[in-house]
Amino acid sequence: MEERPCAVLLKFPGTNCDEETARALEAVGFVTEVIPISVLKPEKLVGVSLVVLSGGFSYGDYVMAGRLARLVTEQKVGETLKEFRDNGGYLLGICNGFQILTQLDLLPAGSLVENTSGRFQCQWVTLKNRAPESPFLSGLPESFEFPIAHAEGRLVTTESSEAAGYLESGAAALTYSTDVNGSFEQIAGLQDESGRVFGLMPHPERFMSQEDHYDPDWSNGQGGDETRGSGYYLFRSLYDSVTSTSE
Amino acid sequence: MSDQTILDEIAEAPADHYRILKISDLDGDKLLELSKFMHLSLSKEDMLAVQEIYKGWDREPTDVELEVIAQTWSEHCKHRIFGADIEHEIDGEKESVKSLFKTYIYDVSHQIFDSKPGFVLSAFHDNAGFIKLDEEQAICLKAETHNHPSAIEPYAGANTGLGGVIRDILGAGKGAKPIGSLDVFCFGSPDTSMDNIKADDVLHPLGIMRGVVRGVRDYGNRMGIPTISGAIQFDDSYIYNPLVYCGTAGVIPIKDIDKKVEAGMKIIAVGGRTGRDGLHGATFSSAALDTESHESDQQAVQIGNPIEEKKAADFVLAARDKQLIGSITDCGAGGFSSACGEMLEECGGTIILDNIPLKEPGLVSWEVFISESQERMVLAVAESDLPALQELADLYETEMTILGDADGSGILKVTHHGETVCQLDCSKLHDAPVRQLKAKWEKKTKVIEAPVLSNPGATLKELLSDFAIVSREPIIREYDHEVQGNTVLKPLAGAAGDAPQDAAVMRINGSDRLMSMSVAILPEWGKTDPYAMGAACVDECMRQLVASGADPDRIAILDNFCVGNPEAEEELGALVETVKGIADAAVAYGAPFVSGKDSFYNYFETEEGPVSIPVTILISGMGIVEESAHVTGASLRRDDSLIAIIGHTSAELGGSVFARQTGLNDAEVPGTNLEEAMKMYRQYYRAIQEGLILSAHDVSEGGLAVTLAEAAFSGKAGLEIDLCSLPMDDEASKAAMLFGESPSRIVVEVAPENLEKLAALFEGLPFACLGRAEADHSNLNIVWGKETLMNEPIDELKSLWKNGLAQYY
Repeated sequence: MEERPCAVLLKFPGTNCDEETARALEAVGFVTEVIPISVLKPEKLVGVSLVVLSGGFSYGDYVMAGRLARLVTEQKVGETLKEFRDNGGYLLGICNGFQILTQLDLLPAGSLVENTSGRFQCQWVTLKNRAPESPFLSGLPESFEFPIAHAEGRLVTTESSEAAGYLESGAAALTYSTDVNGSFEQIAGLQDESGRVFGLMPHPERFMSQEDHYDPDWSNGQGGDETRGSGYYLFRSLYDSVTSTSE
Repeated sequence: MSDQTILDEIAEAPADHYRILKISDLDGDKLLELSKFMHLSLSKEDMLAVQEIYKGWDREPTDVELEVIAQTWSEHCKHRIFGADIEHEIDGEKESVKSLFKTYIYDVSHQIFDSKPGFVLSAFHDNAGFIKLDEEQAICLKAETHNHPSAIEPYAGANTGLGGVIRDILGAGKGAKPIGSLDVFCFGSPDTSMDNIKADDVLHPLGIMRGVVRGVRDYGNRMGIPTISGAIQFDDSYIYNPLVYCGTAGVIPIKDIDKKVEAGMKIIAVGGRTGRDGLHGATFSSAALDTESHESDQQAVQIGNPIEEKKAADFVLAARDKQLIGSITDCGAGGFSSACGEMLEECGGTIILDNIPLKEPGLVSWEVFISESQERMVLAVAESDLPALQELADLYETEMTILGDADGSGILKVTHHGETVCQLDCSKLHDAPVRQLKAKWEKKTKVIEAPVLSNPGATLKELLSDFAIVSREPIIREYDHEVQGNTVLKPLAGAAGDAPQDAAVMRINGSDRLMSMSVAILPEWGKTDPYAMGAACVDECMRQLVASGADPDRIAILDNFCVGNPEAEEELGALVETVKGIADAAVAYGAPFVSGKDSFYNYFETEEGPVSIPVTILISGMGIVEESAHVTGASLRRDDSLIAIIGHTSAELGGSVFARQTGLNDAEVPGTNLEEAMKMYRQYYRAIQEGLILSAHDVSEGGLAVTLAEAAFSGKAGLEIDLCSLPMDDEASKAAMLFGESPSRIVVEVAPENLEKLAALFEGLPFACLGRAEADHSNLNIVWGKETLMNEPIDELKSLWKNGLAQYY
């Protein structure tokens, strides 16, 4: 009997993209469970292949985005997420989840601060895939679109040379094709050295099908299975990696 | 003894936390003084009626009871003006209206319900009305205003305005899931000069706009509910009284619509704590504003905490799915007094104020009971389910409190510190005195000579730069309109993702059907012809839903009124005429009202006398889209397609943005041919079902020329348009053809091979092919036979339209 890999989504007070992210994961084959942070224990990650931190505003993000979520997570499970990664587990952080993963030191050093526009920005952006070998991006073309929706998505590093280093090392797996929010080196997503931890500001779960695109004629000339959106291929790549490594 | 107050004269305090008020011997003037002192917003007649009720009971009221009655009878909760007896005079003819609500909203809607069995599943009695989506699920929509708080504290006012209407949805049925929001604002013009603001402490429209948008943004985005639909009107008449409408749609399993409180159930509260914030919100909104309001009424404006509400929402939806809810309602205006009063209205029961967790100590009984602190929900649940509910509360980290129980006595009893501070038979409180009002309206328009256009292209540019028409993009992008991952037709779309759309369409989880949502507001029309405004608003809302792919026979609408001073005969007269307009249109379209709300006293005492808003009606609507293939955007998709128009262009220019720019303030306003419009919408829907429509944009503000330009903002092609065959009045001027705003018109894009089929569907109805999309240039070229009316680069037009508001926001 086929065993479907299990993904858990951590839910903080204020996390609000867990439902559609779970739906996206299920669409590519994962079994999902949403775990409110109040009941998170290290044991909950036993048998789990993927931990997802989905979008939203954990604890309102009134302090720095993701800061309180980090403190609570550390208090609940300590170093468990790092051990989970070291044991072959995958971690994905989307938007607020990316902010939290950064806070948890699971990704290369950097902070996600207020966009240079000083505004919340809900729009579609074109992205460059700089890590085609990443388990998260292997199924995506060199360039594709995702929507963003954030006020604090500007990735900064202590020294700007660090961000430039991320481009060279491949840590900057995803970049914007234009300057969207003031991110250093236009970085939109980061991966860790293992490649199994990935965080991005854009929302792949909002582009699962062709009809999610703002232009009804988007798929004309795109080729491939035209009913799918680019987000599907991100989750599908991940599923393929998870299932091939677990064999 | 000047600081001796009426309360000192009549109050007896058996304990520190409540008082007994000896009102039985007071005369009318003294009663009114008491009402004013306590901020009850009850009239002399109301107070006399209260006195009479207590004489019947042979006792004196407590302050808690008076507060409860004031909430129950407030305009905000009871809609006294919509229930009033009105002597109305229209163009010299007298008529009497017994309850606008009953006559034109309730009865009209029930007539439509009867003609469409099974479509409307609940209306008027719950927090929001439900219509059937499919066999399993229903959808609902509710809109509210939060005008006075937004005038005084724009950020917090709008923030809690949206927070409040989201709770309405959470408290609809046994808890509906909020899936999309709308916001509609009326502000003074962003470039208003400070010298034109004739009162102290009034905020500049720009400050109000920025605060309001951020308030909506921070609540909606944090709740994870996409804000997908909206509109903004700018007019000087809103400088003192900005209008802020917030609405939210929800979805629910049909089996969870009916709710019931039974004797023996526990009454519980979840969510935020109770404090002194938000005292007298309901009664505050039932009075006019003045400079003093800006100083003294700040405690009536609450502070929002969306994360508190998100936790409560997660709790409610999980509890509903586990079948743990008997009944639920939100704490809105009037706080626990309204919520518990409503919940125990029939069953009766006891509420123990000591159980309510407070933000600060020392609140007296009435403060605890009527505080409008945000983010609280009240539920009736089975006692045996309390452990399971507590587990959910712990899971989602929200505070749950047992307030008391339902007991079948029919009496609302409230205790505090061991004493009964309120004991009311709520069924006796329903008959607030019926108000007697006078209304009058006289025709204000006349036939005018249309101005000759010297340079129509330049006029189009002026219109595209007008605040009424410019792109709302800077605001739309501040709202997350895609969270929940279901927004199929977004507020900005087209090939470049920034062109305006008529309605927003969302998928509904677990259904193949979708929901379309739109809003219509035309206050300029109502200044001279409120009846025409009413009909045209319903038409525009309906048309936008239909254009986006909704079935015209499965649409329900909401009416949200904002009015100045209802005691001014002409203002009330305009209201009566507006209500008649919306009622006639609703009947003709078979689009019932399923919920509505009204806001009065939107006038302000300035140095130069009172300034009222024009009677303003927001019609918002929801429609069922049968399948995702029917979803139709408003942006041009091809460069080889044909452009056709559905609908008749009439000669009148009144109400249009063009008329306002040209100073034609009393020009006749176009009427709506309701029967013909409904026929067209049904045929249009057939065309949608047959896949004949590529894109469709309704003709509204700015008229046909603006509509064509907006469609072309997708950047796909230029347009070649000839108005020779435009279906129109013989006497229609060029101005009316290009810039008139007669209702019921839709511009459609059709593939050349489908034109004949489409035209056949509209036989006998106004329909014409006007031109084509053009691959070879990117201009909007409009001719009248051999005469070129305009030939403008679309890029240039778009940049004017796109930057008009951006420079102010």
